[in-house]
Amino acid sequence: MKRWSWRYLVNRYPAFFPLILLVISIVVNAILQPNLLSLEMINNNLRVFMPMLLLAVGQTFVMIGGGIDISVGGIVSIVNTILATQVGLTGTPETMWKFVFLVILAGLLAGALNGFFIAILRLEPIITTYATGFLYAGLALFILPNPGGGIPQKISEIYRTTTPLGIPLAIYIIVIILLIWWLIRSTRFGRYLYAVGGNAQAAYETAVPVRTIVFSTYVISGLFSAFAGIAITMLSGSGNAEIGAGMILTSITAVVIGGTAFSGGVGGVAGPMMGAITLGLIQNIVSFSHISTWWETLVKASIIVAALAAPGIIDLFRKKGTRI
Amino acid sequence: MKRKNIFSLLLIIGLLSIALVACGPKATETAAPAAEATEAPVVEEPTEAPAEKFTIGISNPFISSEYRTQMIAELIEVNKEYMDQGITNELVIESADTDVAGQIQQLQNLMAKNVDAILVNPGDVNGLNATLEEAVSKGIIVISVDQELDVPNVYNVGIDQKEWAKTSAQWLAEKMGGTGNIVEIEGFPGHPANVARMNGVDEVLANYPDIKVLAKDTGKWDEATGQQVMSNFLAAYPNLDGYWTQDGMAIGALQAVMAANPAKFPIGVGEGRCQFLKLWQDVLKDHPDFDTIAVANPPGVSPTGLRIAVHMLMGEKVDETKLGGVNGLSFVIPVPVVITGDNLQEGLDICKDKPDAYLLDGIMTDQEVVDAFFK
Repeated sequence: MKRWSWRYLVNRYPAFFPLILLVISIVVNAILQPNLLSLEMINNNLRVFMPMLLLAVGQTFVMIGGGIDISVGGIVSIVNTILATQVGLTGTPETMWKFVFLVILAGLLAGALNGFFIAILRLEPIITTYATGFLYAGLALFILPNPGGGIPQKISEIYRTTTPLGIPLAIYIIVIILLIWWLIRSTRFGRYLYAVGGNAQAAYETAVPVRTIVFSTYVISGLFSAFAGIAITMLSGSGNAEIGAGMILTSITAVVIGGTAFSGGVGGVAGPMMGAITLGLIQNIVSFSHISTWWETLVKASIIVAALAAPGIIDLFRKKGTRI
Repeated sequence: MKRKNIFSLLLIIGLLSIALVACGPKATETAAPAAEATEAPVVEEPTEAPAEKFTIGISNPFISSEYRTQMIAELIEVNKEYMDQGITNELVIESADTDVAGQIQQLQNLMAKNVDAILVNPGDVNGLNATLEEAVSKGIIVISVDQELDVPNVYNVGIDQKEWAKTSAQWLAEKMGGTGNIVEIEGFPGHPANVARMNGVDEVLANYPDIKVLAKDTGKWDEATGQQVMSNFLAAYPNLDGYWTQDGMAIGALQAVMAANPAKFPIGVGEGRCQFLKLWQDVLKDHPDFDTIAVANPPGVSPTGLRIAVHMLMGEKVDETKLGGVNGLSFVIPVPVVITGDNLQEGLDICKDKPDAYLLDGIMTDQEVVDAFFK
């Protein structure tokens, strides 16, 4: 394989294709919405995409490790309902930060429960997290049966409008995650993670602590679900036990668009983050292209399907054509 | 390391293209409005200030229901009137199944499109507050339709959900002669409209101590679920005297009763949908003394809200003494149609050339809106 060949780039850099998609989405969106790249718009958009982006990061760890986590929506709901009921619209910043700490613990705990079932009891990830997802969503409904409550607007504004040094808060978060990811990749944990996702049996035989690695991916996913829950609570300022339900499949879509395969062992964090932003931008593109209301959902879904299928289609054509 | 080079090259290409895009629109910005000006003069143009047209945006987060479909279609229709008069531009509609974050995105996009007013059917009671306040601070008139919000300077337009439920509950209680056993099938527990409605029902039933509520379950505002819940109730309480239900589930409930075919049909509450009225007519063939009530839950409140928005944009003053609600900014729209056995034919006449999914409706006329709410 030549180093500049398409296949080489796609295989070597899982984030290559999502990057192309992201750039295309940005260009198209900017043509339709000329003020897209103004500071205000970047901040407005990223604050809305951030919960999904965080969720996609957590999901990535699980999927690289060869699993899947459908309980993320339930964890988001738990976090949201705890904050909305315990902090309240008139709470002090101190209570808020105290409960932020607590919900992070809750997220870790929920992730650990998933990890216990899947890594220790060896249950099927998709069914297990589907079931625990109901458990978490049910718990959220128990905490907050009726939508309501919330966090003080002042605290919500920290998330919504802070732009340290003129740069939206979300950019800092993205950079920090990327830095941490680059650090993790080169550690032993990083290498083990790919080994387990690629071929768990082979990894086990070469003395990789498979259980620990699989367990930890779910804990990480729980942690990021908690972050996503905190982000969406600060975005909306309100509580609703249903809030995470719609986010589950979107997070998986973001990861797959981001070049991380269901089969495990490939991918990275940068791609899914771009995937999450791309999905958000697709919504903007549909909105700004003046498509008739009744067509909107169909058009949006078609674009997403095309984005998901694109790598496969390109491969297909390349196989038919001359090999490089 | 050449591999690293490729990656950094790609990064640079990526960043460059982002930078290009960042510069691109600015260069074309001067050209773009000129080209668009002929079809959509959205931005203020001082030269033709008196003839400036208004742009109104719609945000709707839930599409899979006849109510919302009818609502959007009527909004487009009513806006057409104003477009023909040269008052408004084409509506900017953001309508798709989405969650809180998605609706915040819808609202942000409407602001980015420089709309003059936003009609929002909120999918969350508090989740949009900060975003709506941002819109208000940009000088946009914000009206929440169908669902009352408690946000400063945000207007509400809708029916009084509690009164709406009381109408049918009162009918049920009187029809039963103030005594008997009933069951209740509610919508989504916790949904604000459902909470208000059930409070209304409780208030009415408090005056009738001899009416006992044997059980209460949710039919999730879904016809099939409503039918199943009612079947279960009929199996558990074969001698049921009556039932209260609402929107969407009443057809299912009545079908369950028809399937069980008890010796004595319980007295039940219906819904203001053409399909229900036709079912009602069918039941009357075998049970001539069957009676029920259909109270319209009109999607027309949204187009009425559109009329209110237009008059506010034209600078007319709202008579705030006519407003009510949680933040004193609610335009309460009266229920337009109530159908009982006495006027069933009227309802069937309305439905004659309408699809089964059509909801009995009413949109206030331009003049009615002015008379009712403006100085």
